[in-house]
Amino acid sequence: MSKSAMPLERLTGESKPTGAEARPLAMLVSEAAKAVAPLWPISAFIARHPWMGLEEQTFADAADRLQQAHGIDLYPPMAVFHAAMAKGEIDLVFVERRLQRWLDNKPLPVRRQEAERMCRALLWNETVPNEALRLPELAELAHAAAWRPAAVRTAGAALHGVSQRLDQQTVKWCKLFYGSNTAPWALPHCELGFYGAWRRLIAADPALSKEERKRLADWPHDGEEALRQALMKLGVQEEETAAYLEAHLLALPGWAGMVVWQSRRTGDELRGLIDYLAVRLSLEWTLVAPYLPLEREDHADIGAALSLLAAWLHWGGMTLEDWRNLSGKEQRAWLAFIDRFWRIDRCHLWLEAWEDTYEAKLKEAVLAHQPMDETKKAAAQLLFCIDVRSEPFRRHLEAAGPFETYGCAGFFGLPIQTRALDSDDAHPSCPAIVAPQHEINETAALEAARPYRRRRDAFRFVGQTFKKIKQHMLAGLLLPEMSGPWLGLHTFARSAAPAWAGRVVRQAEAAAEHKPKTDLSLHRHGKDESSGLPIGFTTEEQVQYVKQLLVNIGLTSSFAPLVVVCGHESETANNPYASALDCGACGGAAGAFNARVFAALANLPEVRAGLAAEGINIPDETVFVAAEHITTVDEVRWLDVPPLPAAAEAAFRQLKQALGEASRRANAERMAKLPHVGQTPRDPVAEAQRRAVDWSEIRPEWGLARNAAFLIGRRKLTKGKDLNGRVFLHSYDWREDPTGEALAGIIAGPATVGQWINLQYYASTVAPHYYGSGDKTTQTVTGGIGVMQGNGSDLLAGLPWQSVAASDRELFHAPLRLLVIIEAPSYYIEQLLDRNEEFRRKVQNGWLRLASIDPDSGAWVNWEAGRLASVQQR
Amino acid sequence: MAAQWFIWGWLAAVAIVFISAAAWLHPRMPERYVHVHVWLLLLPGAAAAAGWIGAGNAEAGPWRFDAVSWLVAVYISLLSWAIQRFAVRYLHGDRAYRRYFSLLTWTVSAASLTWASGDMRLVAVCWGLPLMGLVALTALKKEWRPAQFVARQMAVVFSLSWLAVVIAAVWLGTAAGEWQLASALSAERLARLDAWEKAVMNGLLILAAIIPAGQWPFHRWLMESAVTPTPVSAVMHAGLVNAGGLLLWRFSPLFHETWAHVALFLIAFASILIGTGISLVHVDYKRQLVGSTMAQMGVMLVQCALGAYGAAVVHLVLHGLFKATLFLQSGSVVPRVGRAGLRKTGSSWPGGIILGVLLGWAFWQAAPHEPARLLSALLLGASAAVAWGRLADFREGRWMGLAAVAVLAFGSETVRHQFLTLLGQGEATVFVPPAAFEWTVGVLFAMAALTAAWLANRRTSALAVRVYMHLVHLGEPRPAAMEAHPRYLASYLKEGMAHE
Repeated sequence: MSKSAMPLERLTGESKPTGAEARPLAMLVSEAAKAVAPLWPISAFIARHPWMGLEEQTFADAADRLQQAHGIDLYPPMAVFHAAMAKGEIDLVFVERRLQRWLDNKPLPVRRQEAERMCRALLWNETVPNEALRLPELAELAHAAAWRPAAVRTAGAALHGVSQRLDQQTVKWCKLFYGSNTAPWALPHCELGFYGAWRRLIAADPALSKEERKRLADWPHDGEEALRQALMKLGVQEEETAAYLEAHLLALPGWAGMVVWQSRRTGDELRGLIDYLAVRLSLEWTLVAPYLPLEREDHADIGAALSLLAAWLHWGGMTLEDWRNLSGKEQRAWLAFIDRFWRIDRCHLWLEAWEDTYEAKLKEAVLAHQPMDETKKAAAQLLFCIDVRSEPFRRHLEAAGPFETYGCAGFFGLPIQTRALDSDDAHPSCPAIVAPQHEINETAALEAARPYRRRRDAFRFVGQTFKKIKQHMLAGLLLPEMSGPWLGLHTFARSAAPAWAGRVVRQAEAAAEHKPKTDLSLHRHGKDESSGLPIGFTTEEQVQYVKQLLVNIGLTSSFAPLVVVCGHESETANNPYASALDCGACGGAAGAFNARVFAALANLPEVRAGLAAEGINIPDETVFVAAEHITTVDEVRWLDVPPLPAAAEAAFRQLKQALGEASRRANAERMAKLPHVGQTPRDPVAEAQRRAVDWSEIRPEWGLARNAAFLIGRRKLTKGKDLNGRVFLHSYDWREDPTGEALAGIIAGPATVGQWINLQYYASTVAPHYYGSGDKTTQTVTGGIGVMQGNGSDLLAGLPWQSVAASDRELFHAPLRLLVIIEAPSYYIEQLLDRNEEFRRKVQNGWLRLASIDPDSGAWVNWEAGRLASVQQR
Repeated sequence: MAAQWFIWGWLAAVAIVFISAAAWLHPRMPERYVHVHVWLLLLPGAAAAAGWIGAGNAEAGPWRFDAVSWLVAVYISLLSWAIQRFAVRYLHGDRAYRRYFSLLTWTVSAASLTWASGDMRLVAVCWGLPLMGLVALTALKKEWRPAQFVARQMAVVFSLSWLAVVIAAVWLGTAAGEWQLASALSAERLARLDAWEKAVMNGLLILAAIIPAGQWPFHRWLMESAVTPTPVSAVMHAGLVNAGGLLLWRFSPLFHETWAHVALFLIAFASILIGTGISLVHVDYKRQLVGSTMAQMGVMLVQCALGAYGAAVVHLVLHGLFKATLFLQSGSVVPRVGRAGLRKTGSSWPGGIILGVLLGWAFWQAAPHEPARLLSALLLGASAAVAWGRLADFREGRWMGLAAVAVLAFGSETVRHQFLTLLGQGEATVFVPPAAFEWTVGVLFAMAALTAAWLANRRTSALAVRVYMHLVHLGEPRPAAMEAHPRYLASYLKEGMAHE
């Protein structure tokens, strides 16, 4: 039996040695939980990839397992590959090359030539032609050879109707509990925890029949106990338990992910999951109890065997006679071989060929020789986020004047939690994988803030009154009369002139929320009570954070008189996914705060002095200015502009002028990619402005769709080259990093953020219903924490369909795994792989791909599995 | 004679819109035509506005217009324009993109024909068309199982409603020997009907009205209607649910018995309680809106039950604007990071009750004989009390805020009053139930509010828990009306994302 065809061994328990009985429930739960990823609330959307717990397996194996056990596809269907091929995005040469390499490396049950013929047929065909299936003896033979055990199925799933009801009930309890802070009448007994509240309320739930409620009358009051009892009563075998629990978690992975996130915050992740599973399995038992014990299903899948056998006969050049002559073991091995190839490996080859085609094009673009003369001194240097949307803007900006741009993660290396003026909640403004170390508060003098507060609160008073009246039994009934005329006016205005009315509304909001000049608590003073984090930085920390970033991006000398620190933010109207378009490195929010903090730090005299002591001399006339790149309209908005000396002032004016031109060109490029009703509009800037404020716009911008690569290296490599907005660009100069520490930091932080974003888009594209969040037009925002579809569904985790597809008939995003390219000598890469086990695993198991560019020879090195193995031997 | 021309002009405008909707379905029609189509939707509205000003009451063939018909025609046209304008971008890329516009146009135009017809046969036929249009709109996502299920359920209950109207109309027409609505409902002809006949007709019409209004016990379809795309929901909640109120207004002379009013009131009152409760306990935004619609339609029917048909029509128009806006804006309810927080004060600002009582009393006294005025006064008083209570939530700008609220509310009340005056002319003959009934209604509302407040303070009591769980259950969809993951998207991918 082929090894790779039996990834389910662990799950089915058939070949599992006994002796695992003593495993505590908590351990089984945590094993099952690897298949789900935490889900952050939608208000600060974190692009996270759904398989973070599965990186120990190869991508293909994880795909195989999820597909067999839960019917989830990790590869796009063939139709998507064919469409890509038609567009010239897949070169058949690479398909062939990948196939050959695959055949070379895999143990084959048959002769190479036969295997090749078979695989080539399977590569192109979805089903066996009907006439091949019509042979009379086929069924009987298939039955004899059927080998594949059925996956572990939950009791509820085995009974039609029960699973639907179980999902509906689970969704109901989850939304009521986890969304309780937005309901005017919240779930009673919330303080008892999820299971506790459920246990108290279930006796009064009319959704269950009297019988069903009676069954739960003396059910345990403790979640763990209840879970144990439910497993026992459902007759789940000890060795199947983990798989059984996993199947339950994957039934609604979004809600399970929300449970993980919520309980992680309270510090007890397992407790939350146990509660969740206890509720779900208790309900399951109540619903299926009358049907227990369930008959064990026939453990073989005959349908699959039938078509596999037919495939051998049809394409493999076999006769029935040949087949009968094989031993049972051989028959099973033959079937298992093409089974796995057909379901998984061929898709993997197609995917790799697609990726190779892209890589070849990128390589060509990057390695193309170009006349560069770097003698001209830059008037201004701008730091942009690595975000793929920065690339076109940087390109156009550089073309418009003597400006240098750099790329770094948009949190500017500051592990901070931010508290905006008068805000109750602190926001972790750094990547989700980084724990905040400092808290920075925004404050304003009482006098200065008074007009702001008055204005803001007057506006909010109206909003709050509306909300409270809506929630009042009597007052709410008159609300249409009280607000209808005004809301109607608003609707008609927005319909008549979407751009104009949208802008008016946006300006009114901005005016109401317009803050006075505020200060940031940069200097260490005390601790925040709730989080325990120190407020501000010590001078040493200030110096180190600034130094670290400058070294990382290779900007340690020849400073221009003006250095612009550019965060980014999107601007969209009526868009529940607004934060998905914001800065992922800033915890799914605008990057303005971090930009302000960094610019302010870099301007501090004591920081300058500290940097000088470390060998980084920033001239006195150089000024750091904070700004924000508005990605939806490709504009730069200035945040904090301190008084500028003459040289900086001149550069500032020059830059401002060039920005207009850059913005126009970048928008023209953007409009060519966005779908339009009718023709492409003539004025790209006006169209972009409209999209930003139009409340009916379903695709305000493409966000990070089509991202495909992450380049770590000097801008010299890519300057002036059109990378199509598909590449994350992180500036890095290996010569400034003799120890390789900076590179390790970039890989651990920004590159991981890039990988998460990449796989988020990937998952939302290949399984838009399961890992994406479905069609935006039928979503309903739930509890302020996420969205559901229609009348209720899983809490949908990923990006909406409209973020990855141009229409119901055309994908926009190309689901490719991230290609990380590092410009550094090979021994840097080896060292990196050596030291960073986690990164190495990602590369080795295909969760991202790695290439490097040798700075001296300019050679492109591909770090695929074979090469990695040689590093391991070192 | 000239008045007739306004009606023919309006019908021509409707015909143009119909033709445009049909032509747009043709694949040869360039996509940018959608802009033309959407602006054409304003044509019937303009024609109706002209008719309202130029003709007032008018008749032509089976068509008959009075102030309410003209108002409804203007309203439907404007709303349909705004919502389809929204759909131009919002639904872009949908497989059924063109069909949405055609069906939306068909649905709302059929609705406006209903209220323009003076012939009962025409009313009976037109009553069902928009409802079936809505079913078709729901079914447009034909690959999505829950949408199909919900569409089937809607088709069943709507057919029941249609059947009720057809029976009532045919019966009335044959019994009265007259198909013209106005003459058939004249006092002398109605006198010919037996009491039991009128009673059954009343029952049929109430049944027909409460089904599209999503009233208990026919609220299921409404609760499960969140499967439709936002613009369709907007049309549903701003337009079609209102049909019941207009139907009762059209047939109001038939409702001369107090018991029918009481029955209607009881159903509507129960629906208000249930609908409000659902919107309070549920956490998904569209479901909250759906619950609120159920309650608001209850208000409209309570106004009908109190004989305040004018107020009911104004309510349905303003509710339509209100709910359409909230639906279209439903993407904006995600909280935003970094916003200033609200003060969390336990304290309350005293005097809200006094203000509410004073304002309510003054409002009632301004026109004590207007039907349903007492109820409005009660609701207004409660609103004032709630608004006053917000003074505790803010510090710096609160008086400015309160002033703004007062100005906005005054503006709205002026609009409402103007509407009522405009509609008031034709409305002399309706039967108004005795004042005691209105007082009883007021007391029941006040008691409901007190009970709600009492429960709010005892949320963990056995009674509160039972009420809570029942409200949750009443607002929940059936399992078949939902799906854990929208699988049809996977099938879109599999079928091939054509590269056209």
